[in-house]
Amino acid sequence: MDYLDFIDTIQSIADGVLFGATYALLGIGFTLIFGVMHKINLSYAAASIGAAYASLLILAGFKVPPAFVFVLSALCGGVIGGLVYWIGFKFIPLNNPLATLMSTLGLLLLIDEIVVHTTQGVPLAYPVLFSDVIIPAGPFNLRGDLIFVFMLGCICMVLLLLLIYRTRLGIATRAVSQQPVASALCGISTTRVNILTFVITGVLGGIAGAMIGAAIGMLSPLLALPLTVKGLIVCVIGGLGSIPGAILAGLLVGGLENLFQFWRGVSERDLYIMLLLFIFLVFRPGGLFATAPGRD
Amino acid sequence: MDFYLGLIQIIGVHTLLGLSAYCVLQTGQVSLAQAGFFAIGAYVAGMLTVLGHWPLIPALIVAAVLGGATACAVGFPALRVKGLMLVVATTAFGEAVRLFFFNFNYQLERGELKIGPHGGEGFRQIRYFPENGWSTLEVAIFIWVIVVIVMAALWWMDRTRAGAVLRAVGQDEFASQSSGINITAVKVTAMTVGGVIAGIGGGLFAHYTTHIEHVQFGVALASFAIAYPILGGLSNVFGTLIAVIFIQGFLIEGLRFMGDWRNLLFGGLIVLAMNVRPRGLIDENTSALFKRALWPRKDRAGA
Amino acid sequence: MKGLNIAAAALLCGAAICLSDGAAAQERIVKITGFGAKSGVVRVFGVNSEAAMKAAAEVINASGGVTLGDGTKAKLAIEFLDDRCNAEEGISVVRRIAATDAFIAVGPTCSNVAESLFGILQKKVNDPSDSGLQFPIIADVAAKGGLAKISEWAFRNVPSEFEMYKSLFAWLRKTHPNLKSIWGGVEKDFAHSNATFNVMIQQAESNQFQVLGKSEWLLADTTFSTQVREMKRANPEIVVISAHPFTTCGVLREMERQGVKPKLLIGLTSSSSIETLQGCAKQAEGIIIPTSFAPVNAEAQKAATNVAKHGGSADLHSAAAYEIMFILKDVIEKQKIMARPDTVAADRVKMRVGLAGLKTTFGLLGTVGRTEDREAIKPYLYVHAKKGTWQVLHTP
Repeated sequence: MDYLDFIDTIQSIADGVLFGATYALLGIGFTLIFGVMHKINLSYAAASIGAAYASLLILAGFKVPPAFVFVLSALCGGVIGGLVYWIGFKFIPLNNPLATLMSTLGLLLLIDEIVVHTTQGVPLAYPVLFSDVIIPAGPFNLRGDLIFVFMLGCICMVLLLLLIYRTRLGIATRAVSQQPVASALCGISTTRVNILTFVITGVLGGIAGAMIGAAIGMLSPLLALPLTVKGLIVCVIGGLGSIPGAILAGLLVGGLENLFQFWRGVSERDLYIMLLLFIFLVFRPGGLFATAPGRD
Repeated sequence: MDFYLGLIQIIGVHTLLGLSAYCVLQTGQVSLAQAGFFAIGAYVAGMLTVLGHWPLIPALIVAAVLGGATACAVGFPALRVKGLMLVVATTAFGEAVRLFFFNFNYQLERGELKIGPHGGEGFRQIRYFPENGWSTLEVAIFIWVIVVIVMAALWWMDRTRAGAVLRAVGQDEFASQSSGINITAVKVTAMTVGGVIAGIGGGLFAHYTTHIEHVQFGVALASFAIAYPILGGLSNVFGTLIAVIFIQGFLIEGLRFMGDWRNLLFGGLIVLAMNVRPRGLIDENTSALFKRALWPRKDRAGA
Repeated sequence: MKGLNIAAAALLCGAAICLSDGAAAQERIVKITGFGAKSGVVRVFGVNSEAAMKAAAEVINASGGVTLGDGTKAKLAIEFLDDRCNAEEGISVVRRIAATDAFIAVGPTCSNVAESLFGILQKKVNDPSDSGLQFPIIADVAAKGGLAKISEWAFRNVPSEFEMYKSLFAWLRKTHPNLKSIWGGVEKDFAHSNATFNVMIQQAESNQFQVLGKSEWLLADTTFSTQVREMKRANPEIVVISAHPFTTCGVLREMERQGVKPKLLIGLTSSSSIETLQGCAKQAEGIIIPTSFAPVNAEAQKAATNVAKHGGSADLHSAAAYEIMFILKDVIEKQKIMARPDTVAADRVKMRVGLAGLKTTFGLLGTVGRTEDREAIKPYLYVHAKKGTWQVLHTP
């Protein structure tokens, strides 16, 4: 029995870590926007779910392979990302973080309610990919679809890093994030860079939304708020603006969640997670990859 | 008439919730833990009147003290961090409080019935107001006496040295630190005052809704707590009041005739308001304008 | 909304003129107001309830409407308000309705709203020391056990889950004598699921099933591997799930993934809706759920078509709203409700007395009994999911 308990503990953590890949994808989006604009976009998770919904609704009635739905979700995500920038950020002065906090909160409510109104709030089945693939590893079983999500997260990360460090757009993005005024003086269009950041994170969000839909097998507007909270948690644990940090944090949150689920049961699970998070943030405010604690 | 009085009760309690976040926002900090203090106030006051048969006012005082004490205890470690870190840290604390009440079971046998908080199923029958024959009008007046006292106190504080110190910390931490202000003490004090106000608000909330459960005190409520002062503007306490009236009175009840469109407009109009008035419905300019126009009446409005 | 109502009223008047040849000049309109969640994740409840109330009103009006206390005939008009499943808003909505000439309100859809709402009503009638609202409310959806006990002004026409699961487990004992072990699964942070789960387990045990243990999850959970693994280890013959469609489907998918194949699956009443089948028809195959509505007889089929015509779907919740309209018609006629602005207070008292005095009421599946504490004892049947539809398994 002890052996079984041990196996189950490891398996629980493994399952959680793999599911954490979806949190990681969301965390990257939050962290990227924060890295460039030093703003929180609270509507990000809702927009991601919204993109997944949009792809489903546009293709309702057509028989298409799941991969096509995912690609469409990414495209919808890009469009929604651009819209979010236009509606929630464009006209609000940059030096006013509280105002954008509120406007994106409003957008979160708005996007969620649009989804509710078009679907009556009923959960919808989402196409799945590799869901019947179970990879046995010794006494453990790993979910194929989650490994796929995990790989996808890694690919996104590599692409993003390439984009940020190897392209002109990336240089412009970093310039804007470090010295907005100076970069504007150098002829970089801040608005254009910001819009592109939102579109890129939106595409990423669309992918995340589709992956979440595929991993759960269903979409529900119920997901928006909890995922927003998880995304924020992942974003700060990883260290603001750090993409590898966000990935690691996503997996960590997923794993811990399942570990506490296994140990303490559901009613106490989140209580411990939240207390741990509180302690972590207070004593290591820079996140996992912090250089110097206590700095903003 | 009862309908409007009921709405006035709701506006009063939400104003308290907003003011509790207003105090913390004055120091430039965004705290999502206010819903947690609100929950503590609600459960404590509810348990004292229902299980302990206390009168309401002492129960509210205990709720306020406990709300403040928790806020103070959280403030010391939490306020070391700021910005998004603090947002998430306080969210975590608020959620932890909510989950504590999700697991909290303390029921007493009263005849055949069991009363008291019952974990996930909530805490039912907090009927102090109807059982003691309070009419809706009396409840509304009672709530508003408290709201006016709190608003007057904050208004007064805004105008004293304490208010200046709060704002100084809010606007430039380094400068205020260099001029000898102990910023941790200031922030923790603001948090404590916020906790006291949230505790009272929660106590009132429990009594006019008669039933409380953990779901009510989640992230959504915490977001509203900070939404009120931000939407209303941080220049004075009336901003928060205006924002509560805007959200509870106009967006929720006023737009009811819009039917299905109402909830879509809810988010949309908040976004629009922030676009049009990024510094809040009543920002410094507006309040300066009012002050000039209403100079002779300013004292009355403040008291 | 207002415009729509006027349009609806105009249409009704138009229809009335056609039907009753000019006698329509004195046609009166009695407005019945329903309320419930029409936004947020539970929007579907409000949409269905509204459609059911409108459908029933149409049927009543087509057969002449209701007879008021002064002998005049009146048509029913429906208004439906959204409470967003929020207790404060629910209280506001009812105060708003109580400020009009309404003598009854139908709702709410959410149990947490009902808890608060029934709390602000007067607890015992004729108790002058209690300043609670004196306004009758009859609930159609809010299903958490024992809610109507809170106030003597509160009524419900919701199925008694206690009775349903009591008979279901007794029936299972009889039909599957060789099955023994049960594993439970519950959506822990949803008051209704949680309360019903306790009923299920208690009934299972009193029917000599052996409860091996339970798995718990939360309303918005997305991963269930740990919970299902506990289930897998126990290897139960029967799995009982008390959860709403979203997590029910999530758990069923995970069970498929881990290869947990119990001989029987039991679900929560609320999951016997179309949502479960939209979410996971394949995994839900064979799940048995007791419900108080299925289109099994002519009347129920007609109700289902009528409700669909108004843009909703008839399930155990909205069917209750449909029935309530007929109950109200009955009480209005028996109690001689005047429905005039000057008789509002008296009408409300009469309405309450009438509802409290009911021993049996109209029901789509047969006569519904009423209990002392203002709840319904509704006929029920067991359905199971078969090839993407709900089919009747057994009628006790």
